Amino acid sequence: MPVLLILSSISCDRNILDISPQDRISDAAVWNDEVLINAYLASLYNAIPHGFFIHMYSKYTDEAYNSAPCCCAELFVLNTYTPDNISSMGGLSTEENWCTNFLYYWDRGYFYLRKVNVFLEKMEETEFELEDKEKLIAEARFVRAYIYFELIKRFGGVPIVAQAYELGEEVEFERSSFDECVAFIEQDLTEAIASLPDRYLSTDPNYGRATADACRALLSRTLLYAASPLFNPTNDQQKWQKAADAAEALLDKGYSLYPDYQELFKLSHGDAQDEVIFSRGFTTSNGHQAPMHNFNRRYEAYGGWWGSNGPSQNLVDDYDMVNGQPPFLENGTVNPASGYDPQNPFLNRDPRFEATILHDETVFRGDTFEMWISEDGTQWGYDSYKNTGDNPRTNYVLKKFMPTEGDFNWQTIFTIQWPYIRLAEIYLNYAEAKFELGDEATAREYVSMVRARVGMPPLPESLTGEDLRRRIYNERRIELAFENQRMFDVRRWKIAINIENRPIRTLDIYKDMSTGIKRYVEVVLLDKSGTYEEKMNLLPIATDEIQRNPELTQTPGW
Amino acid sequence: MLPQLLFSFWSFSQSSIIQGTVTDENGIPLVGVNVVIQGTTHGTITDANGNYQIEAGVGSTLTFSFVGYLSESVAVGAQTVINITLVPDVTQLEDVVVVGYGTQRKETLTGSISKVDGEEITKSPSVNLSTSLAGKLPGLIVNQRDGWPGREFLDILIRGNATMDSDPDYEPGDDDDPNDPFDVINPNEPLVVIDGVPRDNLSRLNPEDIESVTVLKDASAAIYGARGANGVILVTTKKGSQGASVFNFSYSYAIHKPTKIPEMMDAATFAEAYNEAEWNRQGRPDTGYTPFFTDEAIQRYRDGTDPILYPNTDWPGEIIKDYSYLQKVNLQAKGGSDKTRYLLSFGFTDQDGNLKNNPTHYKQFNARARIDVDLTKSLSVGANMNAIFNDRTYASQPVDFVGILQSNPTLVAVYPNGLIAPGRFRNNPLLFDRGGYDKTEDYPLYTTFTATYEVPFVKGLALDASYNYDLRNEFQKWYRTPIYYHEYNVETGEYDRMITDNPIELRDTYRKWTTSLFNFRVSYKTTINRDHNISAMAGIEQQSWKFSWAQAYRKNFVSPAIPQIDAGSTDPEDKDNRGGAAETAYNNYFGRMNYDFKRKYLLEFVFRYDGSQVFPEGKRYGFFPAVSAGWRLSEEKFLTNLPFISELKLRGSYGELGNDRVPQWQYLQSFQFGDNYVFGGSDAPGVFSSVLPNTNITWEVSKKLDFGLVAELWDGLLGTDLTVFQEKRSNILWRRNLSVSHVFGFPALPDENIGKVDNHGFELVLNHRNTVGDLSYSIIANTSFARSEIIFMDEVPPAEPYQTETGHPVGSGLYYKTDGIFNTQEELDSYPHSGNTRVGDIKILDLNGDSVINGNDRYRTNQSPIPEYVFGLTLNFQYKGFDLTLFFQGQTNAYSYDYTLTEFGEQDLDNNAVYRATNRWTRYNQEGATMPRADSYEPGATDFFLYDATFVRLKNAELGYRLPDKLISRIKLKDVRVFVNGTNLLTWAKEITWKDPELRSGDFTEYPPLRIINFGVNVEF
Repeated sequence: MPVLLILSSISCDRNILDISPQDRISDAAVWNDEVLINAYLASLYNAIPHGFFIHMYSKYTDEAYNSAPCCCAELFVLNTYTPDNISSMGGLSTEENWCTNFLYYWDRGYFYLRKVNVFLEKMEETEFELEDKEKLIAEARFVRAYIYFELIKRFGGVPIVAQAYELGEEVEFERSSFDECVAFIEQDLTEAIASLPDRYLSTDPNYGRATADACRALLSRTLLYAASPLFNPTNDQQKWQKAADAAEALLDKGYSLYPDYQELFKLSHGDAQDEVIFSRGFTTSNGHQAPMHNFNRRYEAYGGWWGSNGPSQNLVDDYDMVNGQPPFLENGTVNPASGYDPQNPFLNRDPRFEATILHDETVFRGDTFEMWISEDGTQWGYDSYKNTGDNPRTNYVLKKFMPTEGDFNWQTIFTIQWPYIRLAEIYLNYAEAKFELGDEATAREYVSMVRARVGMPPLPESLTGEDLRRRIYNERRIELAFENQRMFDVRRWKIAINIENRPIRTLDIYKDMSTGIKRYVEVVLLDKSGTYEEKMNLLPIATDEIQRNPELTQTPGW
Repeated sequence: MLPQLLFSFWSFSQSSIIQGTVTDENGIPLVGVNVVIQGTTHGTITDANGNYQIEAGVGSTLTFSFVGYLSESVAVGAQTVINITLVPDVTQLEDVVVVGYGTQRKETLTGSISKVDGEEITKSPSVNLSTSLAGKLPGLIVNQRDGWPGREFLDILIRGNATMDSDPDYEPGDDDDPNDPFDVINPNEPLVVIDGVPRDNLSRLNPEDIESVTVLKDASAAIYGARGANGVILVTTKKGSQGASVFNFSYSYAIHKPTKIPEMMDAATFAEAYNEAEWNRQGRPDTGYTPFFTDEAIQRYRDGTDPILYPNTDWPGEIIKDYSYLQKVNLQAKGGSDKTRYLLSFGFTDQDGNLKNNPTHYKQFNARARIDVDLTKSLSVGANMNAIFNDRTYASQPVDFVGILQSNPTLVAVYPNGLIAPGRFRNNPLLFDRGGYDKTEDYPLYTTFTATYEVPFVKGLALDASYNYDLRNEFQKWYRTPIYYHEYNVETGEYDRMITDNPIELRDTYRKWTTSLFNFRVSYKTTINRDHNISAMAGIEQQSWKFSWAQAYRKNFVSPAIPQIDAGSTDPEDKDNRGGAAETAYNNYFGRMNYDFKRKYLLEFVFRYDGSQVFPEGKRYGFFPAVSAGWRLSEEKFLTNLPFISELKLRGSYGELGNDRVPQWQYLQSFQFGDNYVFGGSDAPGVFSSVLPNTNITWEVSKKLDFGLVAELWDGLLGTDLTVFQEKRSNILWRRNLSVSHVFGFPALPDENIGKVDNHGFELVLNHRNTVGDLSYSIIANTSFARSEIIFMDEVPPAEPYQTETGHPVGSGLYYKTDGIFNTQEELDSYPHSGNTRVGDIKILDLNGDSVINGNDRYRTNQSPIPEYVFGLTLNFQYKGFDLTLFFQGQTNAYSYDYTLTEFGEQDLDNNAVYRATNRWTRYNQEGATMPRADSYEPGATDFFLYDATFVRLKNAELGYRLPDKLISRIKLKDVRVFVNGTNLLTWAKEITWKDPELRSGDFTEYPPLRIINFGVNVEF
């Protein structure tokens, strides 16, 4: 009996339920600690989607042959995305959305917008002394502007939320107009510029943070979009003027094109360069595996998963010849002036072709790539699609962003940076805006500056009007290939209805085993005709989300 | 005292006064036991403390009899004290049932409680105890969703789904992060209490140690208040009993293989299907189409003339063993003196995996030591210690059945000369024994210490205390090394030895869980005026639970010789470590009162006042009461004239129970480290908050109402037990995900007490027991039905009324309605379809008639993978030394979707089932085709691939033979029985014919449950 009583008194603990969490920090602690406030701000930058998730946006457009049979990316094989299934391309966290790269950015965007708004409100409230509070606020506003830009380029005008709501508040969200959103972005950026340094050198420990120049660069891109046909149906010249001015503001800030185009996409944070204005850095503890995801099977990589990021012939055909001539005419026939030889298709191409795309006979890391099939079909090269489904069917492999030295395996974490905005794009933004304003000479000049870096001849002065526009568009396609730009460019130019309905093609390479002579045969891989509709220039909002918001209108046409 | 006086004048010259106590097998005094001098009518009954006193002559025999127990006879010699322990008569209906914090006789039971004895369970040779429970207990739903040795995944539910899972991403078994204890919480899981402590190792207990398993289904679970809403499974392990030592040895050896491996396409069919798909992708050109696989290649796949370049690989056949083994050894010793009782048990199970060249292996050691000692007449103490060693070994690369079933049949598995080929991704599962391993040593130790004190001054008053400490240590070593393989070189004709270029990696993870539970109870039991039986119990219990883990990682080992962390590279980039901790606690008070009048009118009240740390201060405690009543009509005079009625009872119960199975800390606004970013060349730490706080979060409440009828007629020829129930679940912890716009940008919403679900159903048991000559047999059939209905879940009205989830059972899916396929262009042209639909695709019905096929044409089915009806049928036969048991188990009203069938002919070169390929639409098979084309287009899940998961299976069969006594007594043995038994022997499935019908909804590429055929011997001496 006494034993029992002693036992009970020892064992009974009145405060047994008073437990504090062992793996988290309280709200109050965060906002009263400079380190934690900075940590909160750092996490906000993750709002901006980089391109090194499993699926690059290239396969959602005509840069690659999307052969993904599943996992969300298949919605863009034949443009089968609808309001009912689009949210499978979204999600809040990287884990939830490991494959789709936040193409359906709605949830993720607003999720981070609230985080930014919480931050801005806390900064306003707090009496905690912070040395560089204004700078921190400016950085958060840059992130907010970026989020809005990512939203409007996908959805058009979206609801503007500038405060952090609490659970239980009743708000009926409705879309603001596209122009109102642009104005909101402009205001955030303009005010942020005032509190930020112009730039950090790429070797600076702060490189990668928002800067005044990053704000200007984002403004340039935003205003270019705002002036584009999709968002500027009346072709309001003032919008082009603003776009031109925004780009011009960066021309004298001390940036310059990095001399080696191929090398540029193998740089990490800390490597010296003057071209990239804003980028996402990586470290071995916070890195990516993009090379393994996108390279072909040779180093055990996945070719974009099922070889689904294999560059398309559609893209390859758009690389000029070194003489500056496009290999094909507008009607698809060989341009006689170009010297293009269909049985020697990789010869004498714009150097950016070799820098971006790996093809049959390319020597890479000491290996000669072989994409051929014997004439009788019984033998094939190691990199042929016949060998494994992880060799892209197109017989091309992405070379941009691929490390030429160091380890190349799944156990390596890669640190190659993702360039969000670089000077070449600003030149092209400027050229495009100037062209639309009628200043064709300046347009040619800036396009030619981009071409000059790789030794391509300048655009001839004879190039003008619609032909010039096409070359400006094409220059952007080539220069910014695989940088997650093409998909949105063809939409804002309103040429997607043509581009995205074209078949995805490639060249099959047949080798005569006795002579070693190769034969190139063009094949259609994917018939996309009739799958792309005008309404697809903007993404639909998920059906559930429309149901939750009676005032929210669906994207037109959906 | 009264009986003693009455009989005191019966005195003989050579007689003496005999006294003693009669207890049950748990040492609890039995009240009202008849003590009679054999051959006379003289006798007495035991009092409220189980004590009796009787005058009996030397040489006479005392017989002790009590309803529900086997009678005992003792010859009277010189002794004056005869203490007797009565053993329950398990063959009778009136047995003892373990209920929360105590036992009750079945006759006076008022709750809806099912029970199965340990003996029944051991008839199944399954390694996993939980699978042996399927079909045994009405109301308990057990589905084995996969069959991985040592980590089989089971859905265990009592009366189906009564609440909702607010984590829609939850997939049964997808335990993404073993280091996050809250990663996977199924809020519908019942509470499992093993020897009085909530414990989670039900599946890994030694079946030989089990005395009984009881399931509390109704309000009687309110004694487990807050955690009892989903029902409670109570497991009681065996203990020693007074008497001579009994030693029991058993050994069995079994062979096993997966129940059903889907038949996959051969290389030629696979190649044809792939070509068909590619032809579709290229726009169905009439000419100019170059197939991926040439006709010549397909011919070579078919005729098998070139097994190197044109193989026809049957991957499942190459990888899955024809059979593998399973052996079990059990040793058990038990016995005791009048003061001490003991049980020692040891079990060993050794299960081999079903894959060739794969380290998968499972070993389990169970050791139990239980001792009960009467220190004094009134104080007894006991200890029950159980150690389980689980050694699980798997390959370092997870082999799933996807990698086996879906492997491309045009790739070589093994070259004709025996060398192993790389397969796709160099992921040929036959290579996996070369690439390291993933070993887990999971060693839980469960201890229980009890003390019982019968207060000597107050009859019927007893104090019980128990202290339980469970310590579980788990150490996982994941070691991955490069794999060598051979690849045929087309140019040289040689087999090149290759090696994968991954570095050697090692990850050691240490996890530790501790649970301590203290429990103190006071109970009082008395009988007033012989007819009024009253008992009461009240107690307090505290539980605390802690978990911590640490992990170390290194890569780039110089050599694979030493798989230890220190042997790895010391470069900081090659190292990583992680760790974390969590804890939680419960504090509660509970009690029970029973009253009965002449065992005829029964009344019970239970309560629990429960505090859970999952909720914030002020919301932590909840009060959960339940009341139940019974009326034994068979004890009424007006029915005693009907001799064919041996037992007839009506019962009912009503109560409130709680549920707290949601993640912790939802009431706190807090931040975690993570979501890092990079500035310059270094990592910048981030913080993030993953959930909005809900400061009002509290218990889910379940209100349960049950009515039951129990009858036993013609002395066992017919018995029945019928229960109907209704449950209303409210305050269900549910996230407002459905109605809250994402524009708010909230992180994951917290659980709020908003959902409402109703559940109703019935359970019916029928049994028949008879003896004809030397043959005695019994038939026990049970069936149960449970259907839930969502009453409120904060659903935004969907576009079409037929899509609402509210009003449907929990887990009902949204599917497109289909009507076959579009066989011809005319059919396609004449019916609305989406732009991507072509001839050969599934015909989606335009449900809302708007001539547009979109998400609005989906409808909510009433059907979920959780069966509404489950049934079991047990047949027992006994003839002389032979015994035969057949046990059938089945289910209906369950539906299973199979998306794997939709992925057919796609670019990933995954194989698919012959079932899918048979009679598919092709350009040459249009009109009569019943399956869609290769690379078919579906806008989402369709009911085309939704199947009725009805099945009946011969779950267990056992044939035993007990050697004749004459024979074994010569070799000094008490009992020898040889047996052969089997599990999952025959299966009949209504629609799901290409795979095991019990596999989880979604796909057919799971490790199927096992068919086991087992031979064994049991020796007692």
